[in-house]
Amino acid sequence: MSRSKALQFYIVSRIILAPLQLLTIITIVFLLLRATPGDPADAILGGRAPENAKEELRQQLGLNLPIWLQYINYLGHLVKFDLGTSLTSRGQEVWEIIGQYFPATLELAIFSMAVALIVGITVGTLSASRPGTVFDLGGRLFGIITYALPMFWAGMLLQLIFSVQLGWFPNSNRFPPNLPVPATITGLYTVDSLLSLNFGEFLVSLHYLALPSLTLGILLSGIFERIVRVNLKQTLQADYVEAARARGIPERRILVTHALKNALIPVITVLGLTFASLLGGAILTEVTFSWPGLANRLYQAISDRDYPTVQGVLVFFGAIVVSASILIDILNAYVDPRIRY
Amino acid sequence: MYSLSLNRWGEIGKFLSCFCLCLLLVVSCAHKQQTTSQTTNDGRITIGTTAKPRTLDPADAYELAALSLVFNMSDRLYTYEPGSAEIKPQLATAPAKVSPDGLTYTIPIRKGVVFHDGTPFNASAMEFSIQRFIENKGKPSFLLSDTIDKVKATGEYELTIQLKRPFAAFPSLLAFSGVCAVSPKAYALGAGQFKPSIFVGTGPYKLANYGTDSLRLDVFDQYWGEKPVNKGINIQIQSSPVNLFNAFTTNAVDVAYLSLKPDQIRNLESGAKQGKWQVISAQGSVVSYMGLNRNQKPLDKLEVRQAIASLIDRELINQRVIFGQAASLYSMLPTTFNASEPLFKDKYGDGQYDKAKKLLSAAGFSPSHPAIIPIWHSASSAIYSSVAQTLKSITDKELNGMVQFQINPVESATFFKEIGKGLYPVALFDWYPDFLDPDDYVQPFLACEKGSVSQGCTTGGSQAQGSFYYSEAMNKLIAQERQELKPEARKQIFAQIQALETDDVPYIPLWQSKDYVFAQKGVSHVQIDPTQNLIYKSIKK
Repeated sequence: MSRSKALQFYIVSRIILAPLQLLTIITIVFLLLRATPGDPADAILGGRAPENAKEELRQQLGLNLPIWLQYINYLGHLVKFDLGTSLTSRGQEVWEIIGQYFPATLELAIFSMAVALIVGITVGTLSASRPGTVFDLGGRLFGIITYALPMFWAGMLLQLIFSVQLGWFPNSNRFPPNLPVPATITGLYTVDSLLSLNFGEFLVSLHYLALPSLTLGILLSGIFERIVRVNLKQTLQADYVEAARARGIPERRILVTHALKNALIPVITVLGLTFASLLGGAILTEVTFSWPGLANRLYQAISDRDYPTVQGVLVFFGAIVVSASILIDILNAYVDPRIRY
Repeated sequence: MYSLSLNRWGEIGKFLSCFCLCLLLVVSCAHKQQTTSQTTNDGRITIGTTAKPRTLDPADAYELAALSLVFNMSDRLYTYEPGSAEIKPQLATAPAKVSPDGLTYTIPIRKGVVFHDGTPFNASAMEFSIQRFIENKGKPSFLLSDTIDKVKATGEYELTIQLKRPFAAFPSLLAFSGVCAVSPKAYALGAGQFKPSIFVGTGPYKLANYGTDSLRLDVFDQYWGEKPVNKGINIQIQSSPVNLFNAFTTNAVDVAYLSLKPDQIRNLESGAKQGKWQVISAQGSVVSYMGLNRNQKPLDKLEVRQAIASLIDRELINQRVIFGQAASLYSMLPTTFNASEPLFKDKYGDGQYDKAKKLLSAAGFSPSHPAIIPIWHSASSAIYSSVAQTLKSITDKELNGMVQFQINPVESATFFKEIGKGLYPVALFDWYPDFLDPDDYVQPFLACEKGSVSQGCTTGGSQAQGSFYYSEAMNKLIAQERQELKPEARKQIFAQIQALETDDVPYIPLWQSKDYVFAQKGVSHVQIDPTQNLIYKSIKK
C-alpha cells in the first residue's frame, strides 16, 4: 500500500473510532455520576422540601428508572445533540451554559499556550544549544521547577506579588465590574474589542488576562522546555548536523534552520494534547483567579450535583480531546514521514 | 541568502521581545487607570462577593446568593424593618385583615407601581406572582404550597388569600424574598417554567447585565418608593474567599460581603481598627446546633444528653474556633426574637464539668465504663471540625474519661441525606431560617407528625433533623403557637416550648451568627437586614 493510501486509511479508521472513544467517555461519566453520593432531587428542591415533592420530581426527571434505561434515554438525547437542562439553574439549557462560559476558557487557553510555547521553546533552545553552561543548568532547573510547582500555590503567590503587593495586575476576574463588557461577537473579549476597534477595552481585557495566562503559561512551559531541550540535544548530535558543521555552516544557522525544525516535531503532539486539556478546563487556574470559564462552572455544577450540566460539559470536553487527538495524529502523519501505520 | 534570512529572524526576534516588553508595561500601567476608574466617585457601588447566584428566578431562588439579589431588585407585600424582625407593608398598604378563624387574609394593594418592563402592577399581578411561586414548583415552593389553599384578586387593588390551616407566622412568609411581585408579561405559569437569567420585578433596581462573573444593577427610574442614593450597583463574583479578601484590600471593590473566613474577618477587623476601612457587623439569624439522637445509645438516657449540655463551653468554642465572631446561644430561638429566653444558661451553664460528671454517674457511666459518643459533621465544614476537636480535647481533660467523643466527618451530601435516617448519634449543623419567625426555629426541629414515646418520631420535623424527639406536649404547644394570633399569648407558648426543650435536650444550641460587611473609607450607610440581605439602596459613596 502506498504511503498516501495508508494515510487515508488511517485517517478514516481514526474518525470511525472516534464515536467509540466518545461513547466510552460518556459511559464512564454517566456511571461515575450515579456512583457519587447525593440525590439530585435534594439538590434541586433542597433538604427541607417534602418527600412527596422530591418523589414527584424524581419521576419527572426519570431518576426512578433503572440505570440502564436512564442510560439509553440519555444516549437518545445525545444523538439529537440534546445535552439537557441544568438542574440547579432550572430553565437554562446546558448548551447555553457552554456557550456562556467556554469563550473565557478558550481565551485563557490560547494566551496561556502562546506564553508556554514562547517561553518553553526559547528556554529549551538556549539550554540545548549551550550544553554544560549556566544556560543548560538554568534550563534544567526551570523545567523541573515549573513542572513540579502546584498551580494553585504558584497562582496565589503570583497574585500576592503582582496584584496585592505591586498592584500591576488585577487580582481576579475577567473584566472590571464597573465597565460594560465588550459587545459579544466571539465571546473572546480581546478579539471582540479588537473587532469593535475599541483599543481601550482590548487593553483592559489583556490586563485582566495577563496574570492568569502568564501563570498557567509559565507553568506549562516546563513541559515544552524539557521536550525541546532533549530533542534538540539529540538532533544536534545527528549525522546531518555534523555534516552541516563540516561544510562550515554557522552554528546559529544550523540550530535555527536545521536542528530546531526537527526537534519541534514531538512538540506538536504535546502541544495538541496540552491545548485540548486546557480547553477541557484549567480548573485550578480558573478557580484561583476567579476566571469565569467552563471549568469553574463545572466545579460549581459538581458541587451542586447538577447531573445534566456535569455530563454535558464533560461530554463536550471529551469531544474536544478526542477531536484534538485525531487532528494531532493526522498532523504528525503529514509532518513526520517516519511515521508508519 | 541564508545569512540574510537568519539576520532577519534575529531582527524579528528582537522586535517581538521589545513588543512583548512594551505590551507588558502598557498592560501593567493600565492597572492604575483601571483602579482609578473603580474607585472614582461615579456614584455606583462595587460589591465583591463569593455568593454566586444559581438563578435569579424568585420562584426557584432559595439560597442567600440569589435571594439577596432578588431582595434588592424586588418588592414583596411585606418586608422587614432594617435591623429588626418586625414586618411592615411594602406592596401592601396596610397589615392584612385576618378573619376570626385565622384562615382568610385580605390585603390592600399599593397603587401607582409599575414593573421594570413598564407593565402596571395590581392585585392580579400579585395573584399571578404567588400562584407562580407555588405552581412552578421551585425549590422554595413548599413554603407556600403547604400553607395556602387559594389566592385571588378580589378587587383591582385587593388580594385575598385563603389558608389551609391557621398559621400565625403567615405575614412573615409573605416577606420571604422570593414571594415578590414579578411581571406577568415576562414570566409564565407552569411546573418547571423558570427564567434563571432575567429579573423583571418592581424593585428599586433593574437588572442591566448578568454576566458570568459580574452583575450590573441600574436604578429603576419609575420606582414608586424612595429611590436609591447611589447610581447603581456592580457585583463582582469571586470564586474564593481569598480572592474576595485580596480584591477588598487592593481597593478593587467598595464593599465585601459574603463569605470571608474567620481568620480573614479577624484580619480585616484589625485593619478597620487602624482606620484602613470600615467594618459593619450585625447580629445574624443563622444558628448552630448540636442534634442528639434519642434513638441511639447512650443518648437514649436523658442524663447523658443533659451531661453534654452541661459540659459545653460556648464562650471557649466561640473564642477558639470562630475568634468571637458569633454570639453564644442558650435557646432554640435566636436573640433576634424577644421570645428568646436563655434557659440553657440558667439550667446547664457553660463548662459545668462536675455537674456533667454527676449526671453521667447517675446514668451508670464511669471512667472504667465510659459513654462512647460519636460526633458527626459535614466534612466541608472546617469550623465544625474544630468545634468537635475542641470538645473532645476539653472532655478528655476534664471528665477523666467518663465520655469519649469520636469525631466523624462525612461528605456533606451524604451527611444531610442520612441525618433523617438516624445514623448519627450526635450531629453538628447550621440552620438558615426560611422566614423570620420563632416558628421556623421550633416547628422544623421539634414537631412530629407520627411517632410514639417508645419509638420516637418516625415522620416529621424532629425525624428529619435527626433527633427523633417525640413529645405529645410539644406537638400541642407547636399547634397552639401556629394558631395564636395575639403576640403576647404566643410569646408565652414559646416560653413553654423552650422550657420543655431545655428539659428534654433533643438539641443543644451553640451559637448565633454575626454578619460582617467591610466597606472602604468614604462608603456610608451600609446595612444588613435580619435575613442577611445587604441593603443596596442605602449605600452611599
